[in-house]
Amino acid sequence: MNLKKEIRVSTLFVSLVVSVMTILLLPIFLDFDLTSNSLGSTLLTLNKNQTSSANVVTSVVTYFRGFDTLGEVTILFLSIFGIGLGLDGYKDKLNIFAYENELLKIAVDVLFPLIILFGFYIIIHGHLSPGGGFQGGVIIASAFLLMFLAKGDSFELNHKIISLAEALSGAGFILLGVLGLILADRFFGNFLPLGSVSNLFSGGVIPLIYIFVGIKVSAEITALVEYFIRIKDVG
Amino acid sequence: MLDSFNQTPFLHSVITIGSLLIFAIGLVGALTKKNLFKIFLSFAIIESSLFIYFIGMHFEVGKVAPILTNEVTEFSTNMVDPVPQAMILTTIVIAIAVLALALSFIINYFKLTNNMRVDEMNELGEDR
Repeated sequence: MNLKKEIRVSTLFVSLVVSVMTILLLPIFLDFDLTSNSLGSTLLTLNKNQTSSANVVTSVVTYFRGFDTLGEVTILFLSIFGIGLGLDGYKDKLNIFAYENELLKIAVDVLFPLIILFGFYIIIHGHLSPGGGFQGGVIIASAFLLMFLAKGDSFELNHKIISLAEALSGAGFILLGVLGLILADRFFGNFLPLGSVSNLFSGGVIPLIYIFVGIKVSAEITALVEYFIRIKDVG
Repeated sequence: MLDSFNQTPFLHSVITIGSLLIFAIGLVGALTKKNLFKIFLSFAIIESSLFIYFIGMHFEVGKVAPILTNEVTEFSTNMVDPVPQAMILTTIVIAIAVLALALSFIINYFKLTNNMRVDEMNELGEDR
């Protein structure tokens, strides 16, 4: 293959301009000094007294910035909603990634419950170890992706259960916020006993919020996987 | 000799140069590729460079992750700042949502026009 046909002149020109820009920007970025992490150390101190969660990232995401997480989950929901509107449904569509492999078909029956269990473990231990609702939700969705790959068209999701799980977990998420507003000091405030650090039943309202987020994210990403995998029109 | 590499300013410069390189790769891809799918994958590469930069610049040598374990038993200033990590967690989720929405738009555009190249788009009827 001739190299001159593969690379266009415009590609070379753009690469040159971008590399000059990068080299010019490098001194600015290299001079960048870290600001003092006063916010981080304040949150670390607050976390010791207020949440008794072993993972500070989790308590920042769900407790100190819970309203932000609500907006994030809303954006995820809206984007999946828009995809569902645009791709006009999953009905009468064929699975284009079905994979004829006996090894995969047999192994998926063993692996599917284990991956679901691992996802729930990650969700429930979000306040004790790295992980949480978003990560565990994506792991659960990956189990459904494996089922789609192995079973092909014979595997269909029950959409009533998925919409019900998504709606109930979203409503529960907001209900926790409103309960915090009524019973405690603020939206997503803590109204449950804190427990002692590093126990499974600790952290007050944080594990409940992350369980709702995890169920919601897993339902949404599973629906997303089905939209993109079941895309070929019949006939 | 290895100690001189394990210093915060050195690691910060490595992360800065590396993430700017990934940014440049993604920018070149977004500007030169004609396939819509490849353009949005280049945007995903640019996003990943931003994640690496944010997380990497808030790492300092000798500090540990802000999680209590068997070794780290109490919260102290010896932990890295948890706020950028939480914000990047938010950003990753939003990046996935926006990328999925963009890919669904591309699929719809391809179904309508049978065309995925930006230089052959002519739906508004411009002169070429």
